[in-house]
Amino acid sequence: MVEEQEVAGAPALEAVRALPEPHLAAADHGHRLSLTAALAASAVLAACGGGGGGGGGGGGAFFGLGTDQATGSTTVSAGSLTALGTTPTAQGYLYTTAKTDDEAARFLLQAQFSASEAEIAAVRSKGYLPWLGEQVDMAAAQTGWEWLSSKPYNTVYTDNMIWNQLMTAPDGFRKRMALVFTEIFVVSANDIGSNWPDYMMAGYWDMMVAGVTTNFRKLLEDVTLNPAMGYYLNTKGNQKENAQGRQPDENYAREVMQLMTLGLYQLNADGTVRKAADGTPIDSYTQDEVTNLARVFTGYDLDIPSNEQGGFPVPGQTYSIETNAWTRRPMSLTENKHSVVEAKFLGATVPANTKGAAALKIALDTLFNHPNVGPFIGKQVIQRLVTSNPSPGYVSRVSAVFADNGAGVRGDMKSVFAAVLLDNEARSPDGLASTDFGRLREPMLRLAQWARTFGVTSVKGTWKVDNTSDSANRLGQSPLRSPSVFNFFRPGYVPPSTVLATEGKAAPEFQLINETTVGGYLNYMQNILVNGYDTKDVFPSYAVEKTLVTDAAALVRRIALVMCANQLSAATLKTITDALATPVVTAASTDAVKLNRIYAAVLLVMASPEYLIQK
Amino acid sequence: MHPIDPKGHTRRAFLQRSSALAMAGTAMPFALNLSAMSEAAAQSATDYKALVCVFLFGGNDYANTVITYDDDSHGKYSTIRVPQASGGVAIAKDAALAATLLTPTTALPGGRQYALHPSMTELANLFNVDGKVAVQLNVGPLVVPLSRALYNNSNKKLYPQPPKLFSHNDQQSTWQSSAAEGATVGWGGNIGDLVLGQNSNSLFTCMSVSGNAVFLSGDSALQYQVSTGGAVRINSVSPASGTSLYNSATVKGAMQMLTQQARGHKLENEYTKITKRAVEAEGTVTTAIQSAFATGTFPATGLGNQLAMVARLIRGRSQLGAKRQVFFVSMGGFDLHDNLIANQSGLMKQLSDAMTAFHRQMVVQGVADNVTAFTASDFGRTLQSNGDGSDHGWGSHHFMVGGAVKGKALYGYPQVVSTNNTSTAEGYEGHVGQGRLIPTTSVDQYGATLAKWFGVSDADLPGILPNLKNFGGSLVVNGVTYNYPKDVGFMMPA
Repeated sequence: MVEEQEVAGAPALEAVRALPEPHLAAADHGHRLSLTAALAASAVLAACGGGGGGGGGGGGAFFGLGTDQATGSTTVSAGSLTALGTTPTAQGYLYTTAKTDDEAARFLLQAQFSASEAEIAAVRSKGYLPWLGEQVDMAAAQTGWEWLSSKPYNTVYTDNMIWNQLMTAPDGFRKRMALVFTEIFVVSANDIGSNWPDYMMAGYWDMMVAGVTTNFRKLLEDVTLNPAMGYYLNTKGNQKENAQGRQPDENYAREVMQLMTLGLYQLNADGTVRKAADGTPIDSYTQDEVTNLARVFTGYDLDIPSNEQGGFPVPGQTYSIETNAWTRRPMSLTENKHSVVEAKFLGATVPANTKGAAALKIALDTLFNHPNVGPFIGKQVIQRLVTSNPSPGYVSRVSAVFADNGAGVRGDMKSVFAAVLLDNEARSPDGLASTDFGRLREPMLRLAQWARTFGVTSVKGTWKVDNTSDSANRLGQSPLRSPSVFNFFRPGYVPPSTVLATEGKAAPEFQLINETTVGGYLNYMQNILVNGYDTKDVFPSYAVEKTLVTDAAALVRRIALVMCANQLSAATLKTITDALATPVVTAASTDAVKLNRIYAAVLLVMASPEYLIQK
Repeated sequence: MHPIDPKGHTRRAFLQRSSALAMAGTAMPFALNLSAMSEAAAQSATDYKALVCVFLFGGNDYANTVITYDDDSHGKYSTIRVPQASGGVAIAKDAALAATLLTPTTALPGGRQYALHPSMTELANLFNVDGKVAVQLNVGPLVVPLSRALYNNSNKKLYPQPPKLFSHNDQQSTWQSSAAEGATVGWGGNIGDLVLGQNSNSLFTCMSVSGNAVFLSGDSALQYQVSTGGAVRINSVSPASGTSLYNSATVKGAMQMLTQQARGHKLENEYTKITKRAVEAEGTVTTAIQSAFATGTFPATGLGNQLAMVARLIRGRSQLGAKRQVFFVSMGGFDLHDNLIANQSGLMKQLSDAMTAFHRQMVVQGVADNVTAFTASDFGRTLQSNGDGSDHGWGSHHFMVGGAVKGKALYGYPQVVSTNNTSTAEGYEGHVGQGRLIPTTSVDQYGATLAKWFGVSDADLPGILPNLKNFGGSLVVNGVTYNYPKDVGFMMPA
C-alpha cells in the first residue's frame, strides 16, 4: 500500500523533528501536537483520498471508515480482520485510535517487539484495527528454515536463527504472536534429538509463525504431527500396545490436554473455574481418559522416504546422512503400529478398528470444540501480551471472538490476538493508573526490543547471539529454550512471600525472578549494550540517539517513548535526565564520552521498574 | 514450584503473611545484621542443623533406581518391563547389579532385596560401608492412607486424593507444599519459619541454589537464591564495583536509586524489593563462601556444582549468622518417556556421585551429623514400559543421606511388583494401573520425620505438614497391616 510505504520511508527525519519539543511531563502528552502524526496523517489522506482515517478515539468513537447502509452497523476496513470489527465485542471498543504518541507506543509494545517513530505515526494515522489488519496481511517474510539454508552447513544454529527472526524480521507483529505460541505449544531446543536439530527447531518455529493466521484447529494438528514435537513429547516412534504389556506413551496425550487446549479444570467462558455443588473444581479429564487418548497418537514417526536416506554427504566427513526435508514435513503414520483399541475421552469415542487419520480427526475435533479452549488459550494470550490478571470480562470477550470471529469461524487466531490487543482493558488509561495492571516484560523480549530499537545489525549476517539461558550471567531465559514443556513460567504462578501472594494474584514471569537473575540481567545488559556480540559483529548503531546526545532531556524522552511508551514517572525521567548531566556532553566531546551517555541512558531506562513492568 | 491450598494451611498463611511481609521488607537492616555477626561467630560450631532437598525434576523412574533384586520379584519385574537384551527396559540381574546390592543391617521381611541402579556405586558404598544412607520405599503424596479399593471408592470426602495426580507441575508442587500449582507456602519454608529467630540473619534461613521453589517459601521465611558461583554482584549498582558507571558517578547513583526504590505499583515494588535484597546480601554471601573447593572435591556436574555451593554456604555459616538452614538444589531430565535405559544411567551416576561427595565434605567440615540431604521428585513412574521408557506414576523410592540418618536400612514397605488389574490378583491393591504405585508412606510422614530431627516440635508439625493429622494409624489390606507412623524412624533423635 502506498501510504504505508510513505510513512515508513521517512522515520529518521520525523523522529528528529518531533523529539526536541518541550516536553515536561506525561500529562502533557494529550495536548502536544505530534508532528510525527500530523505528517503521517497527511500522507495517508493524500494517498487514499481521505475517508476519515484516524477517528477520534478515547471518547467512544467507533471505527471510522464507514457505515453499512443496509444494517447501520459501523464497519472498518481492516483486511483479513474486517469481520472482527462487526462482532458485538468489537462494537464495544472505546479506544480505536491512538490520540498520542504514548498511546500508540503502548499499543505497539504490546503488539510486537518494539516501536519506532514511523510505526507510532502509522498506528496514529490508521487506527489500531486497520494497522493490525495490515500486519496480518503483510507478505510472508523469510522463514527461519530458509535463513538456516542460506548459510553453509553447521555454521549457524537455532539460537542465531531465532534471534535473527526476533531482532530483524519485518513482520514484527506476526513474530511476536508466534513467540506467544511457542510458550503454549512448548518444544525446547535444550532437549531434542536427530541429525538436524536446528532445522527441526526452525521448522517448528516457522509453523508457529504461519499459525498466527491459521485456525487453531489446523495449528493443533500441525503441532501434533510436527517432528520436533514428536521428539519432545515422544509421539515419534510411539507404538500401540502389545502382548508383552507395552502401553502407548501418554506424554503427548496428557500435555496436549493439560497445556495446549483444556487445562486441568473445566472453565466458564470468562476463564473462571467451574465448580461442583460442593464447591470443588471440576476436572477436565481423568487419568483413564489420558490413557485412552494416548492410543490415538500411536503409529507416527519421521517421514523420511528412502530416496532421502543418505542423501546428504556431510561436508568434511566421509559419510552421508538423510537430507533435511523431513524437518518441514508432518510425521507419517504407519497403520500397523497404530492402536485400534477403542478410545473414549471427553465424551467422544474412537471406535475399535478406526484408522489412524480418522482417529486423529475425532480426537482433535473433540479437543478443538471443547468449551475450555477459548478461555484457556485466550487468557494465556492476554497474560503474554497485556496483563497478568485480566478481569473475567476481558477473558470472556476474547473467548467470544475465539468462538466466532465475526464470520462464524471458531478458532480464528489472528482475530483472537487482535481481540486481546483491542480490548478496552488493554487500551484504557485506567491500566496506567492501576497499581497492579500489567506484566513483567520477559527478559528475552527486552533483548529483542533493545536490538530492534537501537539499530542492531550483523555485518556478517550470522547473528551470533547465542543461548541466553544462564541465570547468573545472562538473561535466565532464551527463546525456544524453555526448561520444560511447562514453559519458562506457569500461567498460575504466584510469587511467594509477596503482596501478590497475599492477594492471590498471579505474576507468571516472576517465576524467572530472584536474587540471581535480577543481577544477571543488569550485568549482561551493561556489557551487551556496549559491545554487542561476536567481536562487535552484532552491534547497535544508536543512530537516533547520537543525534540527540548533547541534549540529555531529549535523549531520555526518545528512549522512554520507544522503550516503554513513556510509562516512566516524571520523577524517574528527572532522575535519569539529571544523572546524565554529568559529565557534560557537547558537540565537541569525544565519541567515547558521547557513547557513555547513550549507554547510561539506555541502561537506566531498561533498569527502571516502570520499564520492567509493562502496562 | 507452585503451590497450594489445604484450607487450614492457607488460612494460617494468610493470617501470618502480613507480618511476614513487614519483616521481609523493612525489619532486616543489614547494618544490624553486621553487628550480629560477631555474636554468630561465637556460637558453638556444633549447634547447627541443615536440611538439603535434592529435587529430581521430571519424575524419577523408581523401578530402575532402587531395583527389586530377589529372584522372585526381579523375575516379575523383568517379565513386566521386558529384559533390556530383548529390547525392554528391565535391568539385568548381573555382576554390575550385584555390585550395588544393598546389604541392610536388618534384612527385609519376605526375602525382599534391593540393589541400586548399577551406576550408583558411590551411594551404594555409602549405604553398605559407611552406613550413612537410608532408603525410603514407596513414598508419595497422600491425604489419607489408601488402597486401590479406597482409591476407587466414590466417597472422596472419606477418601480424598492428592490434587492432580500424575501432572508434573502439580505433583512437584504437592511434594513441596501439599497442594497443586498456585501454592505459595512449602514445608521447607514452614520449617524455616520456626527457626528464623535462631539465625542472626533470617534471610539466609531458606536458600536455593536452583530456581524458584515453593518448598522454601514459608509464612515468614523467604527463599533466598544464589547461583552456583555464589551471590551475583550487580556491577552497575554495587558500591564494591566502583563509584561510577559508564564513567559517571551520578549515573551510578541513579542506578542505585531506581533499582531499589519502593514503588506504588505492586509488581514494580516486588521487583525492586528483590533487587534491594540481592544488593544488600551479596557482600555477606560473597565473604562467607570464600574460595571454591579444590578440584575433584565435587563432581563437575550440575548437581555437583550446586551441592558444592551448599557446602560453601555451610562452611561460611558463622559469617551468614546461620544456625538452622534449609537448602534446595535440583536436577532435571528425569521425564524419561523414551530412552530410559540410555539416559537414566548418567542421571543416577550424577546423583550418586554428588550426594556422596557432599556427605564426605560434611565429614571434612565436622558437620556430617548436623546435615541431612534427602531426595524428592514429581512422582514415580509406571512399572509398565511404553517401549523404551515409562509414564507418569505416583509413589517412588527416595534417599536420605547424612550422619544423623539411621543408615544401612530401608524404611517403609517393599512395593508390589505388579501391573495386574484383576481385583483378586496379587499386587492389585498396591497400584492404580500400569504399576503406578499407591504410596505406603506419605510425603507428610517423610517430611515430619526430617522436620522432627531438625527440631520441630510435635505440636508444630501439623502446621507444617497439613495432612499429617490423618496419619499415625494403620490400614489393613487383604489381611496385611500397613502402618503409617508419624515418625518413620529413619532419623536419630533431635
